[in-house]
Amino acid sequence: MNIKKIAFKIGALILNILVMILSLSAIFPIVWLIYSSLKTEREFALSIASLPAHPTFENYVNAIKTAKMHIYFFNSLFITVISVILIVIFSFIVGYFFARYQFKGRTLLYTMFLAGMLIPIHALLVPLFVQFKVFGLLDRRITLIFPYVGLGLPMAIFLMENFIRDIPHEIEEAAYIDGATLTQTLFRIILPICKPIISTVVILSALSTWNEFSFALVLIKSDALKTLPVGLTNFSSQYTVKYTQLMAAITIAILPVIITYLVFNKKVIQGLVAGAVKG
Amino acid sequence: MERQLFKPRSRVFIAYLSLPVLWYLFVVVVPLVLAIRYSLYEWSGGPKMRFVGLSNYVQLIHDYDFWFSFKNNLIITLLCIIGQIGIAFILAAMMTTRVLKFKEFHRTVIFLPVVLSPVVIGFIWMLMYNQQIGILNWILRAIGLGSLVRPWLDDPKLVIYSVSVPLIWQYIGFYLVILMASLQSIPKEIFEAAEIDGADGFKRTIYVILPLLSDTLKVSIMLCIAGNMKVFDHIYVMTGGGPGKSSMVMAQYAYNNSFIMFKLGYGATISVGILVLSLAIILLSRKLMGGSEK
Repeated sequence: MNIKKIAFKIGALILNILVMILSLSAIFPIVWLIYSSLKTEREFALSIASLPAHPTFENYVNAIKTAKMHIYFFNSLFITVISVILIVIFSFIVGYFFARYQFKGRTLLYTMFLAGMLIPIHALLVPLFVQFKVFGLLDRRITLIFPYVGLGLPMAIFLMENFIRDIPHEIEEAAYIDGATLTQTLFRIILPICKPIISTVVILSALSTWNEFSFALVLIKSDALKTLPVGLTNFSSQYTVKYTQLMAAITIAILPVIITYLVFNKKVIQGLVAGAVKG
Repeated sequence: MERQLFKPRSRVFIAYLSLPVLWYLFVVVVPLVLAIRYSLYEWSGGPKMRFVGLSNYVQLIHDYDFWFSFKNNLIITLLCIIGQIGIAFILAAMMTTRVLKFKEFHRTVIFLPVVLSPVVIGFIWMLMYNQQIGILNWILRAIGLGSLVRPWLDDPKLVIYSVSVPLIWQYIGFYLVILMASLQSIPKEIFEAAEIDGADGFKRTIYVILPLLSDTLKVSIMLCIAGNMKVFDHIYVMTGGGPGKSSMVMAQYAYNNSFIMFKLGYGATISVGILVLSLAIILLSRKLMGGSEK
């Protein structure tokens, strides 16, 4: 009996150690990247695994001075904020009308929006590039907002519609009786109720916009308008690669995401899973 | 829709819906239709567009490089199904035991790479794989496996496996969370009953957890296939499809044709090819698995 108990304890310990190793290997590359970015190039070359003896922000200063990471950062931020706001407003409105009304063309519109979740974005790169060229929309500050909003809509509409459908009709009926217009009902009454689903939509669309690469690569040419992911590839091909500096640049790109995740991790996980599984 | 509210006039509908609908038409629907149109032309982006009918498609069918990149997509998908969903499944099963500690910590940490951009993941692993400064070779040397040290991304025979590792690594957490969510919806009594009936670790996993999760596993496999048919960013950053064409995937091939060689017509054909092949594979696998999922 005792031996069995000990064997069980040892087994449990081994299992815990194995899973712990796996967990740590999930973040070790990121941790390694971040602490290495605080070393000088020489210190890094001397010992690639050790912690920085004298942490320095020199690489960050250089990443901003020579590689203009701050410009890419603000471009990404600008595009993400505008795109997310538009996705939320549009998907809320469309989702509401889909959830509440039967109208002419509803089925067609519904199918059209939902089919968007199946389209591989690479099928759109060439025609969108041509179309934007014709309309003079290539390489502008607002260029990327167009595809990001368009591609973010299907999932967002789907989530919104599902959520709004479960809100009792009585709430709106009461509002109408009190003389509220549709616009008032929509934005003063329904919108606040939708807070939980809006935060899911915000997380989903902010992450995919911040991380998007293909459209940013194809539709933007000037350095001053590039976003972080493209800025990074730019960085590694244009300058003689200083590894620690590249690491600092990558850290600048991922820190906002990591911080957001650590603060809101339950909400982020919920949001991503809701988006994927329902879609 | 069992009940209709007081219904606003149609111009209210139009006022509200027209902007989102036009926006969506402009950036998704119209380009999709145009993609099919461009695929029928020989066109390098200039004013000269030559209609060639289906000959781009004939070329695509005989294009060795395209099918080679498709094969690479399939290899990556298979490795990801085994790696991501396999590991996630084992982990999820362990999460149901009382033995495992720090569950919340594991979940949070394993999910973290999911939120990072694929480009960043590509860069991080490029640094990990680096011959001189890569931590991977350093670890191999440190644990006495120095003979395994090699240029992971420069060996044409190896590279397709090397580029798959970051992909697998990034999304294990995603499938772990999906599987855990579905395990949590199962009443605890089932696991307790299994324990009383003497089903221990392995048996319990195979006979109790596996069947209960089968629907979620099917959905996961679909997601995995759909995701890997369009894989691009990681590959673009780490190898650009090289060395040679050894790690070429369909999306990278479409990108190279369209925006490096400026064969826009043929690039569009490749894109349509990707669309068709991805849908076909998804439908096929759904059929093979006996599509009981929604």
